[in-house]
Amino acid sequence: MQGNRMLVAELANETIRAISGSMVAYDGAVTFKNAGVGGGDGFKAAFKRKMTGESLSLMDVTGSGTVYFAVDAQDITILELANDTLHVEASQLLALVGQLRTDVKFTGLRGATSGQGLFTTTVTGTGTIAVLSAGGPIIALEVAPQYPLVVDPDAFVAFHGQLNQTFVTDVTWRSAVGGGNGEAFSLRFDGQGIVYIQPEER
Amino acid sequence: MAMELENYKVLKTTIQPGQRVVARQGSMLYYTGDVTFTPYSMSGGGMPGAGAIAGAAGRMMQGEHVGLMVAEGSGTVYFGRNGLYVQVIELDGTGALTVEAERLLAYEGNVQTSIVSLSSQGGVRGAVRGAVTGQGMFTTQVTGYGTVAVLSHGGTVSMTVGGAKPQVVVDPQAYVGHLGNITVDLSAQVGFRDVVGRGSGEAMQLKLSGQGTVWVQASEKKF
Repeated sequence: MQGNRMLVAELANETIRAISGSMVAYDGAVTFKNAGVGGGDGFKAAFKRKMTGESLSLMDVTGSGTVYFAVDAQDITILELANDTLHVEASQLLALVGQLRTDVKFTGLRGATSGQGLFTTTVTGTGTIAVLSAGGPIIALEVAPQYPLVVDPDAFVAFHGQLNQTFVTDVTWRSAVGGGNGEAFSLRFDGQGIVYIQPEER
Repeated sequence: MAMELENYKVLKTTIQPGQRVVARQGSMLYYTGDVTFTPYSMSGGGMPGAGAIAGAAGRMMQGEHVGLMVAEGSGTVYFGRNGLYVQVIELDGTGALTVEAERLLAYEGNVQTSIVSLSSQGGVRGAVRGAVTGQGMFTTQVTGYGTVAVLSHGGTVSMTVGGAKPQVVVDPQAYVGHLGNITVDLSAQVGFRDVVGRGSGEAMQLKLSGQGTVWVQASEKKF
């Protein structure tokens, strides 16, 4: 394969949880089953999702064989979590393996204007996560206390670490009268951690 | 003649006198040397003026009839289309490559193509497969000895069918083509969960069995 746009999972009587409809091919004895209400996280998470519009439809892929996953030719990055939490845009999550659970979290007053909703998906525990990045390979940006980071909400994919996320508006009389520079809203990260962005804006 | 990738999305072909390359019309990006391009009528294709019956058949095959051109002469020609990824497949004369005509970017002149009906491959089920997956009722078979360049959205992986893997299952939207002695069957795994909208999203699947290779693209988008 040229690049990393296909995720290959070798299953030996195991289960991988992936976004519904992302399987492109498989061999062996593998079954696909909807992970259930709320992406397998019970009714509380499902209820939150209904309320928040952070949609996440997962399926459980179980059996023995090789399974290939891909979504719209997007680049795929594998992230490892060790008793940690990853905050990720639901649309950029591809697959999960291991002791991981997903939930929805309030992220503050961002997205109301960027169209991404006020909530983000969190993945907590120990395991492997495959995330999608549109427009090319994902970009990992380090944030340190002395180096805060500002990113475009439409390019934001995920973050982990001790980060404080704030929504920055830059509305001046220029943008109010339509003479803005198109970058009126941004996400600011302070603290210690890593922010992942994609080269394409949603 | 040499047909190779200049990069993932651009095909480079070196033509010598007496050789020719058949390519999709309008896919030439640039060339060097002394090369001429002429329209090419695919055998079994539209056949204008070949009578009412052939005309009707031609219309039915419309989905599989794309405009082709022949490049001849001496030089190097570069082909590409819409930023799609190019996969180069070598035919050794033993098996046929089955692929949708729309996916063919270019092939060597000594390779033969023919339009075949899906129903001739798998009876009524084959025809149903074409209708359900949106591939149409016809597909293209490429045979002979030479190189074929196939387009995909996001690039492809090849999977071997046969031996330890007697059956490979592919999403119809991600299926690109296959080579060898392979039977393709559409399977609709529609269970109760799919009906009530809680399905896994993998209700329609193509089951490939036999002996050969199948190419799958990294996307469920048709270009």
